[in-house]
Amino acid sequence: MRENLAERNTLSGRVRAAANAFGLPRLIIAGFLLLMFIVAPFVGNDFWTQISNVINRFSWNAILVLAMVPMIHSGCGLNFGLPLGIISGLLGATLSIECGFTGTLSFFAAILIATPISVVLGAGYGWLLNKIKGGEMMIATYVGFSSVSFMCMMWLLLPYHSPTMVWGFAGKGLRTTISLEGFYDKALAGFWQIKIGTLEIPTGTLLFFALMAFLMWAFLHTKTGTAMTAVGSNPTFAKAAGVNVDRMRLLSVILSTWLGALGILVYEQGFGFIQLYNAPFYMALPAVSAILIGGASVNKASIANVLIGTFLFQGMVTMTPTVMNSVIHMDMSEVIRVVVSQGMILYALTRKTEGGGR
Amino acid sequence: MEEKKSFGAAALEFASNNIVPILFVVICAVCIPLSGFSVSYLLNEIVTRMGRNIFLILCLLIPIMAGMGLNFAMTLGAMAGEIALIFVADWQIWGIPGVVLAMILQIPFSILLGLLCGSILNRAKGREMITSYIISFFLNGLYQLVVLFMMGPIIPIKHFSIKLPRGYGIRNTVSLLNMRQCLDNVFAVTIGGVKIPVLTFLIIAVLCLFIVWFRKTKLGQDMRAVGQDMEVARDAGIHVERTRLISIVISTVMAGFGMIIYLQNMGNIATYSSHSQIGMFCIAALLVGGASVDRASIGNVFLGVILFHTMFIVAPRAGAAITGDSMIGEYFRVFCSYGVITIALVMYETKKRRNKSKTAQELARAAAEETAKEAAK
Amino acid sequence: MKNGKALFARAAFVLVLLAIGGVMMVIGRGHTVYLDNKKLEYNGQTYGTPYKVEVYVNGEKVAKLYDRERGMATCIGQTFRMTLDITQEKGGDKTTQSYTIQLPYNMDGVIINLPAYLAGLGEDAYLSEFIPSPEEAVPEETETPGGEEGFEMPSMEESTEMPSST
Repeated sequence: MRENLAERNTLSGRVRAAANAFGLPRLIIAGFLLLMFIVAPFVGNDFWTQISNVINRFSWNAILVLAMVPMIHSGCGLNFGLPLGIISGLLGATLSIECGFTGTLSFFAAILIATPISVVLGAGYGWLLNKIKGGEMMIATYVGFSSVSFMCMMWLLLPYHSPTMVWGFAGKGLRTTISLEGFYDKALAGFWQIKIGTLEIPTGTLLFFALMAFLMWAFLHTKTGTAMTAVGSNPTFAKAAGVNVDRMRLLSVILSTWLGALGILVYEQGFGFIQLYNAPFYMALPAVSAILIGGASVNKASIANVLIGTFLFQGMVTMTPTVMNSVIHMDMSEVIRVVVSQGMILYALTRKTEGGGR
Repeated sequence: MEEKKSFGAAALEFASNNIVPILFVVICAVCIPLSGFSVSYLLNEIVTRMGRNIFLILCLLIPIMAGMGLNFAMTLGAMAGEIALIFVADWQIWGIPGVVLAMILQIPFSILLGLLCGSILNRAKGREMITSYIISFFLNGLYQLVVLFMMGPIIPIKHFSIKLPRGYGIRNTVSLLNMRQCLDNVFAVTIGGVKIPVLTFLIIAVLCLFIVWFRKTKLGQDMRAVGQDMEVARDAGIHVERTRLISIVISTVMAGFGMIIYLQNMGNIATYSSHSQIGMFCIAALLVGGASVDRASIGNVFLGVILFHTMFIVAPRAGAAITGDSMIGEYFRVFCSYGVITIALVMYETKKRRNKSKTAQELARAAAEETAKEAAK
Repeated sequence: MKNGKALFARAAFVLVLLAIGGVMMVIGRGHTVYLDNKKLEYNGQTYGTPYKVEVYVNGEKVAKLYDRERGMATCIGQTFRMTLDITQEKGGDKTTQSYTIQLPYNMDGVIINLPAYLAGLGEDAYLSEFIPSPEEAVPEETETPGGEEGFEMPSMEESTEMPSST
């Protein structure tokens, strides 16, 4: 009896230690997702279709989540200003189509066009964030919102002419959604796509993400990368060591913005549509909560956090609607998604930041 | 510090401190003639919107006093108000009694939500704004859970005109036709075609008096002390956490009242969207009035409502007049709301940094003098 | 003892609020009153309709009812007051009379049969509950809210209610 109790004590102790190491919220979400996977086949959902859906959604969103990493590293906090990067991406996408590129080529043309735009916008954004150290997150949010609403006007006013993109009857002003068929729809996903029964794996997209993640990892281990991390974890020390703090932060913001632009292009090629106007407004929040679910905090993030977080978040987002619908015939997924993702951000914001930041 | 400033420098300083209101005056001055609205129509609209919105905006003042910045979580109070109104509509209580009942009913809800919000914000000192902003989203999820799934089977809602046909959840719009403008119509006076909702303005006046009085109470003084410097206030024996909590609770309860006033004027509840933008519009209006993150007065509220809503009314028509597309104006006013908040936040943060570095310089100079004295000895 | 006093004051305040709430629930209960000018058979007797009835509530004319017509009025509280201008025969004289009817609390819609009421019959004769058929209730809407990505789009809240009030 006593032995039993002792064993339980150590077991619970061990579980608790593991839970602490892994992070309780993450554990709960992982458990929830696992439950979904187990339940899905029993309620009449094809297991492999579900798996492919999750992998697909993962491949669409992973780079958007990766875009969080540089700014967290340099101590600029969570990049709520991701819409700015997304806008550069959208400009790249629409300009590439306007210039007459088609097929897979249009994807790379879009990246090429989006790059200078995102660098310029990112530089301005980074300059602003350097002026307001300490209040980054709130201002980032509103920079994102302002730029999106500004672009709402621009989408109507800019002189686009390509008939696939403008409103048919007016002949001007971009449509709210633009189909990418004939352009870069599945440009990456179709590359070396694996199909086994109902299982579909978008190899190209995953490889592209792997490449980006690797580059990010490698960058963080270069001299510049480590300097950036130093700026994030201890700005005073970094300054004393001769690192130009403002330049590092600026660089990280540009990098984040560029990755945001890239991320939206990858998202579009998977999704098959360009969404303009109000669509980018709240795109930062899922990415932010994804990386937090992956175990990142306001000032610490790794590539592993991106991987785990995107998988858990997108898994939850894809699985809950189908499973919920077949189990209780109530679509509560919407509510669950909002509560979980926002709850996660709140949890991260209320935790004391390590190193006593600000 | 120079004692006297030349007139030009003073004017420049005034302009840089009040850039947002000045900008808005210019926008309005350009847009009003372009929109082609008649003066009486414009006045009527502005007066209506003043009655509708001022109460909601006033509730932002108290958290600012306590140094907690712009309370984006005022939407929590709005949600409480909406839930109360849904119940009242379900029980078919009409007219002014319905409004009064809803106001009483929302108090416990908003106190609860305010306590929740306040205790979360106490754990996120220094980033209250972004946290309160996320709280408003988080609670919106919970609100949907309650209103869309629990109302019906768990929380009794019997009225067919409110409930979704599937048997649970509330419809997208709940009609408040039977209490529409019932407050506004009491003692309403029409002067030159402009209807003035006297009772609503009286209620607002009472609230303004309350705020003025509140500033002078012990609690109000404590709040200002906490807002100035939390550590100093704590040393002076003030319960910092408790004071902050109370300021949020008061704000939330007041937002609940404000939302009920707002909705009785509108005459229906958009169950899932009425509250979501209210925070943003109220904050934008307050900032347009020249308030900043750490300083706001009742005057800012009134000026802000007038300027912001004038812009709001005239922008679509003016946009259509300029570009031939009314959507441009719609987007323009949304852009203005967001842009104003952005500018105000940036100005606040830069000022804060400048002050900080100024004090740091002064400290450094003092320290240098000390060492020089030491060396002289 | 100061604490106890404060507690008492607070409890009293809450009680007052509750009391006001209770009063509001009674006096604010809204009813829709449907007035029928329809022939009624009751206990084997037939009550005929007057030629024309004009109904005034709060000095406002809410209905002009000929035979087999139905008028509608709203009422807050349980006491419904109305003034009827009754013309018995075509071309005949008007008689004006005020009436007060007590409405049951738990009925949303109340049907009042005027001939039966005017004949002075009991409540169960002239008063019945109006039960709306669910189909014709409110336009169908099954759509539940939520934006594309779960974080609802910023709608231009104020734009939907342009010049609704005069």
